[in-house]
Amino acid sequence: MSRVFHITVGDRRRPPQTAPVPTGAPAAELGPGGGDERGPGIVAGFLAPHPPHLIYAENPPQNQPRSRGGWELLRWAYQEARRRLRERHRPDVIVVHAPHWITMVGHHVNCVPNPRGLSVEPIFPHLLRYRYDFRTDVELATAIADCAADAGLVTRKLTNPGVRVDYATIGALHLLNPDWDIPVVSLSANNNPYFYSDADLEQMERLGAATRRAVEETGRRAVLAGSNSLSHLHWDREPDLPEDMAAEHPYDDHQYRWDMDLLTLVRAGRTRELRAFLPRHIEATAAEVKAGSLSWLLSALGWPEIPGDVLGYGTIIGTGNAVIEWDPANPARAHPAPPGWAPGPDDADRPRPMTGARS
Amino acid sequence: MTVVGAALVPGMPHLLAAEPAPSWKLLADAARQAGQDLRAAGPDAFVVLSTQWFTVLGHQFQVDPNPRGGHVDENWYAYDYGTLDYDLRVDVELAEAWACQAEDMGFQARRTRYDGFPVDTGTVVAGKLVDPDRSRPIALVSCNLYAAAGDLGRIAEAAALAAGKLGRRVAFVAVSGLSSGLIQRWIEPAEDRFEDAGHDAWNRRVLDLLAAGRTDEVLALREEYAREAQADSQLRALAFLAGSGACDRPARVLEYGPVWGTGAAVVTWLDG
Repeated sequence: MSRVFHITVGDRRRPPQTAPVPTGAPAAELGPGGGDERGPGIVAGFLAPHPPHLIYAENPPQNQPRSRGGWELLRWAYQEARRRLRERHRPDVIVVHAPHWITMVGHHVNCVPNPRGLSVEPIFPHLLRYRYDFRTDVELATAIADCAADAGLVTRKLTNPGVRVDYATIGALHLLNPDWDIPVVSLSANNNPYFYSDADLEQMERLGAATRRAVEETGRRAVLAGSNSLSHLHWDREPDLPEDMAAEHPYDDHQYRWDMDLLTLVRAGRTRELRAFLPRHIEATAAEVKAGSLSWLLSALGWPEIPGDVLGYGTIIGTGNAVIEWDPANPARAHPAPPGWAPGPDDADRPRPMTGARS
Repeated sequence: MTVVGAALVPGMPHLLAAEPAPSWKLLADAARQAGQDLRAAGPDAFVVLSTQWFTVLGHQFQVDPNPRGGHVDENWYAYDYGTLDYDLRVDVELAEAWACQAEDMGFQARRTRYDGFPVDTGTVVAGKLVDPDRSRPIALVSCNLYAAAGDLGRIAEAAALAAGKLGRRVAFVAVSGLSSGLIQRWIEPAEDRFEDAGHDAWNRRVLDLLAAGRTDEVLALREEYAREAQADSQLRALAFLAGSGACDRPARVLEYGPVWGTGAAVVTWLDG
């Protein structure tokens, strides 16, 4: 690529130093503070689910509604993700792909320098009325859009500051970095909300490769966040108290077992199998990864055959959610599946999908 | 008579374009005509469902008396029609009575009244075309995509019952497209067309059945239509309108055409 990007050196930026560390590389040396000494490139990726319940439960000052907490196991998982992000990964930028910035035509990249405003969530207005104010890494955002276009994807650069930032973008970014002191690039999910479409996962993989190329060419040290839940059938009504944990459990055993099989592949580092498993998981559980955020994330990482570190799993209104870290330079310990195990539960006892969920 | 009529109108903002495609202009003119015809039937209020206000938990009822502000559409922001102002007049008494009636019928009814609540593009577009002078107040409900389609029919029935108790005459408006397969590239208005002949054929089949008064047949075909033509929100809009009781007669199809490759139609159910 002939384009050359000049980096503005700021308090969190560093100029390009060496070639990016290839994904799947041997463990990086940790510096005195526990942070690794890698140069620019994608240093880690997180599956970072976004249900607004998690922000609601945290009671941050940016969010108007107040709660009594709830969903602690997932929120504790995010605490650990935050620690690693700050102490180990120390990124210049967090790049997020979010399924609730739904763009019906093309892949959009938010290039607004300072998105700010009040995001009242139309689906969960009682849980999320969040005042956001963050900085975009416009140079990287522009580069991602350009690289995606070069890869043959239909793209658009959002420069209109009036577009409300969606709750999946806010959710993942707040939970990973509630201080919002790291610049951001936000990508949309090319989907159609009016029928239950699956994203074109091949396009999401191309978008991931384009993201990686842009990160490397701009010399950024980036952490990626794929803002997806797993199994996604859920209740169509809510308890009077949203954080009533007595009402929280998997939508059904079928969804739970499919999620556990996906996580078994992740923990074993069988990423190639995971790639082939995703469409089956989507079909079986209406998984939100159909929006493409996980495919984008793992494609950007190069589908590394390393274990992901499952920091936590829990349900939110019945959907499955996992916080997972992939750190190519410091992979998690592998947890091999039992001998003879194969992903994909026996569907003979599959319960009937919830009434109306897809009809 | 409590329910004076009903209409199905598109909610794509392209209908408000300064330089519209021929089909966008025809559809916009037809939506204006539908509004004129509905108003002539003498409603006190419009009861509105827009598939672009989609929700997943319970049924949400707008109870803010005057939602107003600006809305920049997250898809179409780069076009003149992607930035919309709105200033809605909500019949809160009717909306509250409707929510209570829905609760009495066993549904979860959630009141929505929040500063900065983002009114959806479809509601705004339909309002500007069907009742540009805001001559009648409106009562709004969300489109719950996780509830059974039949539930939306019952929600409409609840609106009619609530209106009857209040002595209101109402017209129902559902804001929805037909097939929803968009052209997946940036086009000029003049390039708009159906790229999938199968979607076009399905849309025409559905509209012909509605014009023949065979609403129940369309409802029976709804899931197949959704599978074959990616029908907007599985055509829940028709289930809603049918629940009002207004679709028990032949429909009048005022216009049909593409909007960025999706199917769009203006259809009314009125006496005479």
